[in-house]
Amino acid sequence: MSEKINITLKVWRQNRGEEGRFEVYQAQDIDTDASFLEMMDIVNEGLTLAGKEPIAFEHDCREGICGCCGALVNGKTHGSHEQTTLCQLHMRKFKNNEQIVVEPFRAHAFTVIKDLIVDRSGLDAIIREGGYVSVKTGSAPEASTTPIKKELAEAAMDAAECIGCGACVAACPNGAAMLFTAAKVSQYALLPQGHPERTQRVKNMVAKMDELGFGNCSNEYECAVACPKGIDVKNIARLNREFIKASLVK
Amino acid sequence: MNVKQTLLSSIGQKLLLATSGLVMFLLFLIPHMGGNILFLFGPDIFNSYAAHLHQLVPIVIGIEVLMIVSITVHMVMAVRVTLANRTAHDKRFTQKSSQERSLAAKLMPVSGGMIFIFIVKHLLDFTLGVAKDQIALNGHMVNDVYGMVLAKFQQPDQMVFYVLFMVAVGFHLSHALQSSLQTYGLYVPREGSKIKLASTLVAIGMAGTFAIIPIVAFIR
Ligand code: FES
Repeated sequence: MSEKINITLKVWRQNRGEEGRFEVYQAQDIDTDASFLEMMDIVNEGLTLAGKEPIAFEHDCREGICGCCGALVNGKTHGSHEQTTLCQLHMRKFKNNEQIVVEPFRAHAFTVIKDLIVDRSGLDAIIREGGYVSVKTGSAPEASTTPIKKELAEAAMDAAECIGCGACVAACPNGAAMLFTAAKVSQYALLPQGHPERTQRVKNMVAKMDELGFGNCSNEYECAVACPKGIDVKNIARLNREFIKASLVK
Repeated sequence: MNVKQTLLSSIGQKLLLATSGLVMFLLFLIPHMGGNILFLFGPDIFNSYAAHLHQLVPIVIGIEVLMIVSITVHMVMAVRVTLANRTAHDKRFTQKSSQERSLAAKLMPVSGGMIFIFIVKHLLDFTLGVAKDQIALNGHMVNDVYGMVLAKFQQPDQMVFYVLFMVAVGFHLSHALQSSLQTYGLYVPREGSKIKLASTLVAIGMAGTFAIIPIVAFIR
């Protein structure tokens, strides 16, 4: 049964290049079946009607698959550590009259564009360094022409679940993009299609990650707790192995 | 990537950090602990061990050189990585760390710094420019290393200093051992990891063994 709750929102407001600050808003009569973003929509409608600027936040699919949404809610990326994106977080997770603090995903490599929107194009830049297979293979081939072990296929699919939301970077005490890069490297390293470019891929993607000012992994595993898709640190170990192997071959 | 770029990449630096740390752990810390334990068996055994060590000078010097190289690499990389990480992590006002991040991991730079201070003091106390009394052992005159250690730890402040700094060693090792394995690409799971458990146990065991010496010397 849904109920109506009242929430006090403390949200980070910032224009690019300006100092940011927290501002407080009231969200009245919010249905507990509403998603977090729907609650934000209601608050924004109120702000618009009052002639104020609505809170800027990113979203697209609202079904947890695109990786657009995300913010630090009450100190947790995506508002919970239960493998849920912000758009799939529901207001029933909050109590009546609770204060909710919303902050953008922060890292040195993620500059704030506006309010809760940060520039995550660094992640795309890492992908451009090798998060693809460069040979056109046409349409899907007959599945049994290239037999792939079930465990490998599953591990590759697990890695490919990464939606690139950047929660791992925002949760990492070092602002590192290791879990993201590890997932992208792994999904190709595990499948035969990824093998021809394997060496170059890992080197280039790691080099890009460093160049953009993402931090160094110190194996604290905060990223894996934060990941809405449950990407495991097993992928980071695999990235390290790929990197070591790639460094040893000429 | 050439060799330099590889070594100075984020993963490369961490590999250097892990390797230099493991070299110190395997070639220095473990043998050193083995030697220290002999203190518990009294002056004759400990002094004769120290005298034997003296005869192994070439090996000892070899290990010392390796230690100096490892400490240098370890510190340079640690400082580089820590500073880069400070910059990479922007201030978050409300972030709550999950339970995942251990205190030991958080305190790595602090415990590392403490260990460095400890090494300097330890060398000044027992190695560099310390005149040692002579004592007879099986008809030979040898350095009375046992007496020197005993005298040192009879002073409560010295004993407390050594014990406290061993806590830093324990903390450092508990994160370092498992973390270095993950860096080498050996998967250390987040939950229920035997490797994590083992590195905590080894860390406690080693720090405890080292800390016992000053305490026993103080009581003797
Ligand atoms: S809006 Fe697409 S994942 Fe949340």
